[in-house]
Amino acid sequence: MEPLNLAVIVKLEPDFSEGNVSYKPDGTLNRNETKSTLGPHSGIAAKAAFYAKVKYGAKISVCSMGPPFAELALEQAQQTCDADVLHLYSDRIFAGADTLATAETLRTGITDKMQGKMDIVFSGHRASDGETGQTGPQTAWKLGFTFLGNVISYDVNLEKRTVVAKCLLTLNGVPNVIEEIEAPLPVFISIDPSYKSNYTTVSQRIAFEKYQKEAYERAKNYKQYLKVFNIDELGVDKALVGLAGSPTIVYQVERIPKGKATRQAEVLDGSNPEHIRKAVAKMKEALSAMVIK
Amino acid sequence: MEKYDVAIIGGGSAGLAALKQLSTLGKQAVLLEAGEKVGVKNISGGILYSKKPNKGKVYNVEDIYGQNFVNEAPLQRKITQYLLHATSKDKVFSMDLTAAHEYQSNFGYSVLMNELNAWFAQSADESAQKSGGGIVPGVHVNDISWDAEKERTTIQTDEIDEFQVKAVIAADGVNSEVAQITNARPKFSATQLYQGVKAVVKLPENVINDTFAIRADSGAAHLFAGDITLNHLGGGFLYTNRDTLSVGAVYHFDSLLDNPTEPNTLLDALLKNPMITELIKDEVPVKGEIDKTLEKEKQMQIRFAVIKLIKTWYEIRDVHLSSSRTKEMIKTGKFNSEDEIKSKLSELREKMSSEYGITFKTDYVEDEYGAKLIPDGKRCRMKKPYKNNVLFVGDAAGRGIFVGPRIEGLNVGIDDGVRAANAIARALEKNNFSQGYLGEYYTKSIEESPYTKDMKEIDKEYLKIFIDATKDVPKDVLSAKHSMVLKLMSSGAIRSMAAKFVNVLGYERLLPVIESEESYVKVPIQLAERKGKTVSSSYTPSIPLLADRIAKLNYNDDKVSHIKVLTSDNDFMRKLVTLCPTKCYSEEKGKVTIQHEGCIECGTCSEQTDWKHPRGEKGINYRYG
Repeated sequence: MEPLNLAVIVKLEPDFSEGNVSYKPDGTLNRNETKSTLGPHSGIAAKAAFYAKVKYGAKISVCSMGPPFAELALEQAQQTCDADVLHLYSDRIFAGADTLATAETLRTGITDKMQGKMDIVFSGHRASDGETGQTGPQTAWKLGFTFLGNVISYDVNLEKRTVVAKCLLTLNGVPNVIEEIEAPLPVFISIDPSYKSNYTTVSQRIAFEKYQKEAYERAKNYKQYLKVFNIDELGVDKALVGLAGSPTIVYQVERIPKGKATRQAEVLDGSNPEHIRKAVAKMKEALSAMVIK
Repeated sequence: MEKYDVAIIGGGSAGLAALKQLSTLGKQAVLLEAGEKVGVKNISGGILYSKKPNKGKVYNVEDIYGQNFVNEAPLQRKITQYLLHATSKDKVFSMDLTAAHEYQSNFGYSVLMNELNAWFAQSADESAQKSGGGIVPGVHVNDISWDAEKERTTIQTDEIDEFQVKAVIAADGVNSEVAQITNARPKFSATQLYQGVKAVVKLPENVINDTFAIRADSGAAHLFAGDITLNHLGGGFLYTNRDTLSVGAVYHFDSLLDNPTEPNTLLDALLKNPMITELIKDEVPVKGEIDKTLEKEKQMQIRFAVIKLIKTWYEIRDVHLSSSRTKEMIKTGKFNSEDEIKSKLSELREKMSSEYGITFKTDYVEDEYGAKLIPDGKRCRMKKPYKNNVLFVGDAAGRGIFVGPRIEGLNVGIDDGVRAANAIARALEKNNFSQGYLGEYYTKSIEESPYTKDMKEIDKEYLKIFIDATKDVPKDVLSAKHSMVLKLMSSGAIRSMAAKFVNVLGYERLLPVIESEESYVKVPIQLAERKGKTVSSSYTPSIPLLADRIAKLNYNDDKVSHIKVLTSDNDFMRKLVTLCPTKCYSEEKGKVTIQHEGCIECGTCSEQTDWKHPRGEKGINYRYG
């Protein structure tokens, strides 16, 4: 049986963790002072692809569109999923792309530059720095793959060549409904943030440890696996990518107004017994209202 | 159902030694560890010994992990100085026990378990994978079942599908659940256990070298008895690591039950001793007050900047005060020269004090608080360390050596691990896992171990070294009984005869005489008062509150408690309110309840509770261990 052929699309995003993020005085992100990292949702997508590698054996290719330093995202993704191939589509012409133009770039890379036909392509649910959650579904549409969104777990039936996925949805206003879908390969899976890989046997756990170690070693020399494509090398239609290929026009950005605080806070000093008494009295007052008689 | 030859339960140093040995012999074994990584649950004093007994053979670390072990493994410092101090207030009387420490020993290194076990694991896992096995972290075994007819042993876990094995090694520590599942032994009781509590203190490498007057590649171990015990049976220890110190207290659990004292108070008593206060002291930055009249955002900015500056200062200072790390940093190109590091540090210091009002004072810094129960092999080693096809090793089998200042556990567990592995390898070859062929063979092997002998008998050679070390002790501080014993023992012929006599009579019977309030507390206090030197400390250490110590620990919380209280109103449970090292127990209206969130899984409460290890990946994650 042929091993699965998988691709993951990932995005480099600002690192919002403490000590790495920086804001301007007006509260907006200071991109120059903020470090970058693999987007957390992209990380989950890479984890999901790794699951198939551990469980079924797979070849994984990871691609991203972005500036040259976006190779950092690919390095980190390789560390997560033990990727065999890393692609970066990087050209000034790609700049200013909306999700549709990005999807075109990624689609071209996946169909034209990656070896063999893909069985599953993975993407994250959304990005942490912009509303680009459509990139996944749009890439799926361009690839002509069955799209499975909000996937929280999946398995592959290698003989039938199908995917059985559990998807999280809200049905008629009822949240957390799990829908199980069986779809023939190839499919495009957009991973839900609550996705979890379930390694249920000793052999899977051992394989997981083994590949994780391999991934760590590979990522140390990620440049060996990395190929960077400019627009000519990628051979994509210039009219369909970058600013030129983006039908979206952002004509105004409004700041989200701050909600008015409905609560009032008072600072109490914990070492002052008088203050403590005050706090206890307040708590008693609040609790007394909650007692159902 | 998947099938494997051997399951090893628990990834401490004993379990890992068993995995390494089985794999080296070409046998397939999987090791299941409940922690998210091997090493995060382990804690030790700790010194790792390699021994060379006059009679018999022990399996040492270098026999298993290779002769280059000492150069490759992340060991801290080779202990070259071993001292025992008797304390009373500001008086200290010291005895040099280096000869006792070096007795029949190749080496003794101070170690931190998290790092060391991770190294053991890497080596063992590499070998194990070649034989189709490996290490599986994050898995908690909850049951083992046997089907005699089908000769099947099934392992059940909280996390993964059950699987079959031919034999099991139980290396799940002093609070072994496997021992309960298999009914191999009752839970250890207070008279068989010690409770140890430890703090890892941060101190730069060069400061340690200067304070302890040792070279960068050597280390010191200090033991303490006397008033620091707050009248309990046991004592304190302080070991130098590379750039930390392990400071801790180990007490007989029954002595703690007789006179309940909070473990952190016992640790504090140690830290407050002027001698120790001086040994741990360092220069510590102190944040200045933030001007409350400033704008909120400005205040926040200052707060963040101060945190970042102090962090950077520590990082660069640690490099500056360590010759090896200075070299490493210059080699990797992070800095160009020693001078650059130095000037960067003083620049930073200048900025800290002039711009942010940070001051510097003499104090000490604690990095990690931890606790563990330790089995006393003299009293609780399993006489037959097996049940069916399950072999017990190390702490799980109750095997620790405590003879006077001789404290060994890691090397014993490692020796056990190899012996269990050898016994199982032999059984695999004959496909015979019967109690006679496997269990009894292992028992015999364990009985042959010189370590078992050390748990059973008095070694007159060791006794002589110890008595020689105490030659400066004035005999009249001892009671008539002890003084007489010491006098007799000083004569070679009588010592030899007496040791024989005791060993025939049974070593255990003598223990209450040796391990008494007189020997741990009264005599040391008298000694210190009469012959001790006065030590004064130059500062008062800011000892953290227990809450601050717990806040520094790293947990992966489980909503479900791994401990269930069985009886909420007996004497033992009430004492737990005091004796739990992280104050998980509280009493209200005579009922004792538990809040498991801060639990560090020491097992102090295990004897009278339904005690399980947390589920896979949950619970405490030690950074040093």
